[in-house]
Amino acid sequence: MTIAPCRPKWASTMTDRERFNRQMHYQPVDRSFNMEFGYWEENYKQWPMFVENGVTNELEANHYFSFDRIWAISGNVWLSPSFANQIVEERATTTVIMNEDGVLAEVPKDRHDSIPHFLKPSVVTPADWQRVKAERLQRDDPTRKMDIEALKFFDPVDRDFPLGINCGSIIGKIRDMLTFEGLAYAIYDYPDMIEDMVETACVLVEDSLDQLLPHFKLDFAAGWEDICYKGGPIVSPKFFREIVMPRYKRISRKLHAAGVDIWYVDCDGDVRPILPAMMEGGVNCLFPFEVNGCSHPAELLNKYGKDLRIMGGVDKIELGKGREAIKAYLHTLIPLVERGGYIPFCDHRCPPNVDPDDYLYYLDLKEELFGMKR
Amino acid sequence: MDTLVKSIYDNILEGQHKIVESKTQEALNSGIAPKVILDEGMIAAMAEVGRLFEIGEYFVPEMMVAARAMKAGLALLKPQLVKANVKSLGKVGIGTVQGDLHDIGKNLVSIMLEGAGYEILDLGTDVSPEKFVEAVKTDKVDVLALSALLTTTMPNMISTIAALEQAGLRKKVKVMIGGAPITEGFARQIGADGYAPDASRAVAVAKGLLA
Repeated sequence: MTIAPCRPKWASTMTDRERFNRQMHYQPVDRSFNMEFGYWEENYKQWPMFVENGVTNELEANHYFSFDRIWAISGNVWLSPSFANQIVEERATTTVIMNEDGVLAEVPKDRHDSIPHFLKPSVVTPADWQRVKAERLQRDDPTRKMDIEALKFFDPVDRDFPLGINCGSIIGKIRDMLTFEGLAYAIYDYPDMIEDMVETACVLVEDSLDQLLPHFKLDFAAGWEDICYKGGPIVSPKFFREIVMPRYKRISRKLHAAGVDIWYVDCDGDVRPILPAMMEGGVNCLFPFEVNGCSHPAELLNKYGKDLRIMGGVDKIELGKGREAIKAYLHTLIPLVERGGYIPFCDHRCPPNVDPDDYLYYLDLKEELFGMKR
Repeated sequence: MDTLVKSIYDNILEGQHKIVESKTQEALNSGIAPKVILDEGMIAAMAEVGRLFEIGEYFVPEMMVAARAMKAGLALLKPQLVKANVKSLGKVGIGTVQGDLHDIGKNLVSIMLEGAGYEILDLGTDVSPEKFVEAVKTDKVDVLALSALLTTTMPNMISTIAALEQAGLRKKVKVMIGGAPITEGFARQIGADGYAPDASRAVAVAKGLLA
């Protein structure tokens, strides 16, 4: 089924690439960059506009709504091979799986969106780690050599959209491998193991950057951690500063040497306690900036000035409350979009409790407020 | 404070579970009353952990290793507490609501409530309203603590409260709620008795509800 866009792309006088770079560098733009961050699986099954138009995933939704285009290339920066995803046990309402991080996890049988219930990791002790490192995290594994020519598909000579590079994860994937509680205990019980895991993650990212940076003219770098929750970080700021931040600095040096001066990290929850260390390490943009777990984007943009950009920050809780709430919230973002360094979109995957008609209203209002002025 | 009890207190704060275990045994062997060990050594230490968490000096790892240390000592202490007929501050039934499988928030709150002297009945995850009702009816919990991570499962907090009302049990139990999408306003809106923004403040909320 061919998916036809339900609305035209926002009027513009610049390319998506030019607009993104100017907006992120506080230069005048024709309008705000127009993007979103996807939807829950339930939305594709429940929203009539998705069901009736055959929209089943984020890429198709981006095309359906005619958002601006943005993309990132990646090296092979973590487990290779990953653990095989497999079903271990079927229970009454849940299924126990082994996931690709080697963790036994309980997921809903009907596969509705839920954070899994993590049962048991494959890595607990240093001996476990050494085994997994030897089997799946070797630098010279042939699968880590990237096909540069194939990736060049995303970087044509006349590229008109921003293209980024994946900077992987220095602590977040370690949390995925050990589980939330496992990481908390391991920091105390096996500090050398944790530091070796962090160093391994960093080296694999550095190797990837060494391979790719010379061949592409990139507009941004994209990292992922998800190392915070509503109550703050799940590692202490001291740990982050002493163990993670020096690795961020190493990555940042490579990015800057290649002319990449925008580095966003996807980290949900309250990042404020570790943000100074993140920024000292070279991160200068937060994504998708979960409002209810952290703050209104204005708080941090005002505090850090032009040293910090934010992408996201449209409170999904407000989207779910209806049009008056959506309108009131979007109006609070007007000065932030005007100042530059801020691209507004829903602060995570849009959940299914948002009424689809309200969602269309949100998109229309976003264009009215942040699109090209007539 | 007795030096052994102080040592238990200090080593809980440091997360030294093996030392807490051995010092607890030493304290019991030396004849210190179990309630004194519990109140002055353990609960006081976890209260300090909570305070340090709230002022941003301790974070989740510190909270968890301190709780692990306390549990190591409490395992030795519990039989003595039962013998001495020492009662808990109250019984809390805690669970993640129906549709939600994660348990991290629930586990953190359980840790802090147990550290404060409450008896915890962990109902697990994906807990139906009926199972929460049963905990009140059969297990006689004083407080129900409901956790939700997802905006889509928040309505199950409403249905749990409705189920309690339908069973004629609403007035017999206090309901406190928490979780990533939960707010004070939502708690008021659905008729919950309390809202805890984090695991540490859950203790103060529980204390206030049972005062």
